Order: sequence, then structure tokens, then C-alpha cells
Amino acid sequence: MRPEEISKPGERLEYLDPKKLAPLPPPYDDLEEEPITELTEEQKKKWEHSLDGVSALNLPRPETKEEEDKLVLAFLRGYEKLVSKENNWAFLQPLSLSLEYCARCQTCADACPVYEMSGHKDIYRPTFRSDVLRKIGKKYLSPGGKILAGFRGHDIDLKWETIARLAELAYRCTLCRRCTQVCPIGVDNGLITHELRKIFSMEMGIAPMEVHEKGSVKHLQFGSSTGMIKAAIEDIIEYLEDDIEEKTGKRIKIPVNKKGAEILLVHNAGEFMAWPENPMAFAVLFDAAGISYTLSTEFVGYDAVNYGLWYDDVQFARVAIKHLEVARDLGVKKIVIGECGHAHKALSVIADRLLPSEQMIPRESSYALLWDIVKSGKIKFDPNKNDFPVTLHDPCNVVRLMGVVKPQREILKAITPPGRFREMTPHGVNNYCCGGGSGFAIMGSGNFPEWRVKLSGRKKLTQYLNAFQGEMDPSIKKMICAPCSNCKGMTRDLMEHYEIFEKTGIWYTGLVELMVNAMVDQEKPFITWPDEDEDM
Amino acid sequence: MDILQLLTYASGVIFVVFFARKLLKYWTMPMHVRWELYPVPHEGKEWGGSFYEDVDHWKKTRHVDHVAQYRFMVPEILFIRALYEDNRPLWRWTFPFHLGLYLSIGGLVFLAIGALLQIAGRAPDASGLAALAQSLTIIFGVIGFALGTIGAVGLIVKRLTDPMLKDYTSGLDLLNLFWLGAIFVTGFLVWLSDPGFAVSRGYLASLLTFSPGPSLGGMQIINLLLFIGFWAYFPFTHMTHMISKYFMWDKVKWDDMPNRGDAGMDSKIKAYLSYPVSWSGAHIGAEGGKKSWAEVATTNPWAQPQKEEK
Repeated sequence: MRPEEISKPGERLEYLDPKKLAPLPPPYDDLEEEPITELTEEQKKKWEHSLDGVSALNLPRPETKEEEDKLVLAFLRGYEKLVSKENNWAFLQPLSLSLEYCARCQTCADACPVYEMSGHKDIYRPTFRSDVLRKIGKKYLSPGGKILAGFRGHDIDLKWETIARLAELAYRCTLCRRCTQVCPIGVDNGLITHELRKIFSMEMGIAPMEVHEKGSVKHLQFGSSTGMIKAAIEDIIEYLEDDIEEKTGKRIKIPVNKKGAEILLVHNAGEFMAWPENPMAFAVLFDAAGISYTLSTEFVGYDAVNYGLWYDDVQFARVAIKHLEVARDLGVKKIVIGECGHAHKALSVIADRLLPSEQMIPRESSYALLWDIVKSGKIKFDPNKNDFPVTLHDPCNVVRLMGVVKPQREILKAITPPGRFREMTPHGVNNYCCGGGSGFAIMGSGNFPEWRVKLSGRKKLTQYLNAFQGEMDPSIKKMICAPCSNCKGMTRDLMEHYEIFEKTGIWYTGLVELMVNAMVDQEKPFITWPDEDEDM
Repeated sequence: MDILQLLTYASGVIFVVFFARKLLKYWTMPMHVRWELYPVPHEGKEWGGSFYEDVDHWKKTRHVDHVAQYRFMVPEILFIRALYEDNRPLWRWTFPFHLGLYLSIGGLVFLAIGALLQIAGRAPDASGLAALAQSLTIIFGVIGFALGTIGAVGLIVKRLTDPMLKDYTSGLDLLNLFWLGAIFVTGFLVWLSDPGFAVSRGYLASLLTFSPGPSLGGMQIINLLLFIGFWAYFPFTHMTHMISKYFMWDKVKWDDMPNRGDAGMDSKIKAYLSYPVSWSGAHIGAEGGKKSWAEVATTNPWAQPQKEEK
């Protein structure tokens, strides 16, 4: 399918046949999957779904031609701003280069897990959405763009269908940037997707509800994207202290808003609600290692997420500045980021050139500090306590996009018996996304969650299964270490959808949970398997 | 001075001016936020790691391994290694095509050296150095033309027949390949009629001395017209992707320079934060360009005394 065909009339541009999806490894090799559930007739009437029958944005259809034209014009206006220095200084150079220089060699296609696992559907090809944007720019925003547009290869029609499908298409890529890694010219299709999302959000006010209204807006309204307010987090921290006592037999005081502490530890607030063992394990380890640290319960300071990273530079900057303010007010020497991949990249890498250096506070990955703790010998670990097969998922934001590759591996080797830790193929900087990147893990509208578990997470599921082939008996318990909240969320959804634990014995956890589980003075296992957990 | 010489000068001027303008356009763009992609070779960690793997990394002297960077970059430029590893079927044609281009350009350089020697009164039959320049012109030129032709034809066929590439190939893409292929083929034919490139060297010497040139044969005129036309056209095309390769690799994917109190970086950031914002999204609150980045980023439209979520 040529990119120009995005404008063609029709109820749907692409149909997803489950039989055409890339096959899964055993024991799912003969799985007969259901097609993605159709939207209801009412939803179809209400929401734009003509790309692939899936609605991530719940984008309402314009009621009149005038409304359609207005949206098309708004898109073009936003595109102009995207390529202006004033409105997009932060990404102008890489974006302009990526828009201008694609040789359309398609080398990127096979690097994309969504394209591959969809059975090579053209609409998911990394160059497809980028080329649509290029062609619109060349035809409608360049001087003389309509002259010989067909011969020059950019004769694309710009109408409501084009814009609507492009908006949905901006949310069929996890921004993992594997495509960029293989491009011989360096063109960054992941960046183009990111920038496309910015036109929709920053100019047209269009973004997934879970990411914007229920995400970054809530973060700036209540202090956390979870909607959790200061009083609630303070209560939760108290409960965590009780739970730690129950699980470890030790009463630990979790330091909160402690002025003069060396470290501000920031967690994805979702951890407190969905995986409280994770912040608990951090508290146990930091206490045992004698680390001078504090948590914050100040506005925004207790939620490390920054959803703006995925779709909106202004929302990104607002949250990042708050994070830095909280750390400055506490007088800490550095911020240590817990097991949240996108928070790592947002605060460490992207925010690095957001403010002049005098307003910055050093930021550090918890993986590096945890490895330092292991190396220091301050905590004694017994690897035999983790005597089960373990594999490691590499969160894209921490590994490919930030270069933190070795510490987490070294930790796992130190806390598991020889031969128990095995790598996935490929891994490290060549890893595959969990399928929940760039906001997908939290997006739950319409039939998007089904698309996510069947397509964007399919490659990771394949890797998970391949890591444990030969040990698929469900009675052999096996663990995926996924040291990132979003990746865990996505893995949890894969687990539920495919009943993975029941069929294979594979489960998932974070890195610190495995560390505490291996602590010599930890009497009971810290990790619980689903069949041991009554709350499961 | 004849019309061909005038056209050659004009082509050269257009190339220099517009290629420089393109370079300048990217060179003068604002410093972008960090957007690196690992592995970053100058980090010198073969597993793709970065300084973020170290505790208190900002207290340590930053080590930049230039040798590792060159070790990565030289094979990439010369052999298009990324394509060799990730898209071998295309590499089989694009590698000879690019190598043909490099060698042809090399041949042109030796032709220019020969022309300068000729101006200095050292003809190939009387000077060992000039004879060497001539021999290298022939070797580089002829092999370059042959490889370039093979590559161009292969790429045209591949773009027309490969279902993956066909949908992404425009008439203009084919014209570009055909044009370059025609330069290679006619260059080869010129060599057949003038095995020592003596006429071409004389023509180049005339250009360098602003004097009347030798009489050119039909094939030489066709080759020259094809070449100077392409030379002038080239800066306006995406075939200048060596620019992207430099900036996207060296200045984007590998730019992991941290913000550690560099005065130049700080002053740039301060200037950017004063840029006006005109994004229209209601949540931005840019007021049509009245607010700066610093103002919108430090404004919280939802700020309120904390209360329970309803």
C-alpha cells in the first residue's frame, strides 16, 4: 500500500486477520486467536476508526464539512509550527533532517516489531506514517509543492480522513526507535511519530485521554497521574512500613521530605498502587545499605512519571521543572530514579537541556546505585534464594535510549545461582519494546488494549517464551525481571490475556524485589508467585 | 570562453552556494534536546553502555573514545556497513553504486591534479608525476564508471521490481538514478574515445586558467552536460544525504554531551526559553505568541489547593 492511499475513501484502510499475525512459539504455536473485537455500532458512529478498526484516541467524527476543513487547516497550521525554530527549538534539527533525507530503502521495516508481528501490514511500516507527513509537507507547505506532485512522489490528498487516520497511526508506534538504529542515513521515524503526536496535542488538543486528561493534567492538578493526593501518598507510605514489617520482620521508617538527605528517590506512583512490593523493596535495600535518602510527598514530587515525554513538550517541561524544584527545595545532592523507564529518560536525558545548569540537580539511575550497593558488600545476598530461571527485559528508555545496560545484568548474575539467568535474543541496546511503550501500557479505551496485547506486545511475548523454551512445564516456575513500571504493566496484560502463568509457569517482577528475595537475613521469600498469593 | 565553459562555471557556483546554504541551515539550527541512541561509539563500551552506568557520573571526568568512533564510522562511510548488516539485498546494488561514485570523484580529483601539472608545463609523457596522475585518473575513473553503472542499473531494476520498494519509488527517484547512470555510461564511452582523458584534462585546465578550451567530441559534450546539470541540481535533492548522515549520527544519535555548567550551552538554553510560543492548544496557554517558553513551562493551568479527586 502506498502512503498516498491513506486518503482513500472507505470504512477501513486495513483489516487485521489473526491468522496472518506472526506465529507465537510453543505452547502457543497452535493457538487460534480471535480477531480484535469490533467496536460497537454506537462507538463506530461516534469515533474515528477507519485506519484499522481500532480506536486509541476515541476521536469524534466532525459533523459538518466546515468542521472537517477547520481541522485540516489546524493540522497544517500545527505542521508549520512544528518546523519553526520558535515553537520547536528542542527537536527542529533532528526532525528537519529526518523529514528531508529518507531514501525510502525500507531497511527500517524489519526492525519494527509492530510491522513484523502484524504480518507485515503496510500501514505499520515505520516509513508509512513518516512518508505521509513528508508528502503533506512537500505538497501543501513547500513553495510550488503542487507542481508535478505525482512525478515528485508526494501527490497526497489532504482531507479529514488523512488527518484522522494519521492521528490514530501516531499511536501505533511505541517510539522504541529500533528503526532509527538500523537506518543507514540516521533518519528517525520514531522521532517523526513523536513530533506528529505534538501537532495533534499542542495545536489541535488531540491526545489519548489516559495520557493527557487522566495523565499529565491529573499530575499537574493533584500531584500524581494516578490522582493520588499528598494525604493519600502519606497514608500509603505508612501502610508500606506495616507491610515491610509483615514481610521482613523488620520495622523500617521510610524517610519522607527529609531535608538534607543526599538522595531524593522518585518512584512511578503506579508502583505504590499496583506493585507496592517495589517501593517496599527499595526501602529495605536502602535501609540495609545505610543510604541517606528521602521520598517526597510534595506536589508532583511523589510521582516520577512524565507523560509529556510521549506527546507534548509543554506538559513535559511543566512536570520536569516541578521534579527539579522539589529536589532543590529538599536540598538533596541527587535524584535517583526508581524502576520507571520513561521517567529515567525524561528526567536524565531529555530534561538535561531544559534549564540552565545552575537550576539542574544531578540525576542517576537506580540501577547504577543498586549495583554499587551489591558491589559494596554492605548487604549479603544468597543467590540460591532465587533458584529459578530468570530472564531480563530491557526497558527501551533506560537501555537503548540512555545506555544503562550492564548494572542490572551484573546484579542479576550476583543474586541468582550460576546458569539461572539467561538473556533474551536480542537483548541490551538491540532489545524489543515490551509493547507498552510511549503510553500504550496505560491506554485502555475502545478496543486498543486488544490491539496492544495482540500486536505491539507480540514480539516481546515471543521473546519471553523463547527465553524459557525447554522448561515450559508450568510446574517449573520462571521469572521475567522487568525493571520498569510501564513494562510491568504491559507484561501483566500479556500474562492475563494469554494466561501465561497458568500455561507456562512464567511470572514477572522488578529488580529490587529479586534483590530483597536474595538477602541473607530475609527469612521468608519476598517474592510471591500467583498461585501463592490469595489476592491474585 | 564558450557556452560550455560558462555553464560549467555556473554549475559550480550553484553547487557551492546552495550546498553551503544547506549545510548552514542545519548548522545554525538551535541546539536540540538530547536525543541520543545507543550504542554511542565514543562511550567506548562495546556493550552499548553510557556514563549513566556509573554512580555519581557527573563527578567523573568524561571519557570520549574518538578511536572507537572512527572505528565505527570509517567502515560505515566506505562500505555502508549498516546496510550490509540490515538490508543485504539492497546493499548488493547500492554499495557498487556508491563506491562507483567515490571512485569517479577520486578520478576527477586526479584529473584536476593532472590539469594543474599540465598548466605547470608537466605533461604525462614528460613527467612521472603527471603520468601517475593520469594513470590514477584512468583507474579510478574507469572502475568508478563501471561500478556506478552496475549499481545504478541494479537499483533501477530493484526499485521497479521489489514490492517493498516499488510503492515508495517516485518518477523522480528513477530519474535521479537514470541520470547518474547516464553520467557513468557516457563517462565510460568518453574513456573509450579518449583513453588518456587528455581532452578532458585540457578542458579542466582551460577552466582553471580561464582560457579557451579544446574542441570536445560529441560524447564528451553529452557527458559534460549531464554532469554539470546534475552538479547544479544535486544540492536541491535528498541525495545530499551525506549531510544527514553527519548531523543525524554525529550531532543527534551520538550527542550525549551532558549539561554540566558549559557557559555556551547555558546561554543557548536561556535564549531558547525566551522564544515566543504560539501553539494553539488550549492547555498550552500561549496566548498567540505573547508567552515565552519559560512562561508556559512554569505556568500550571490546573494549579489549585489540593483536594480529593471527585
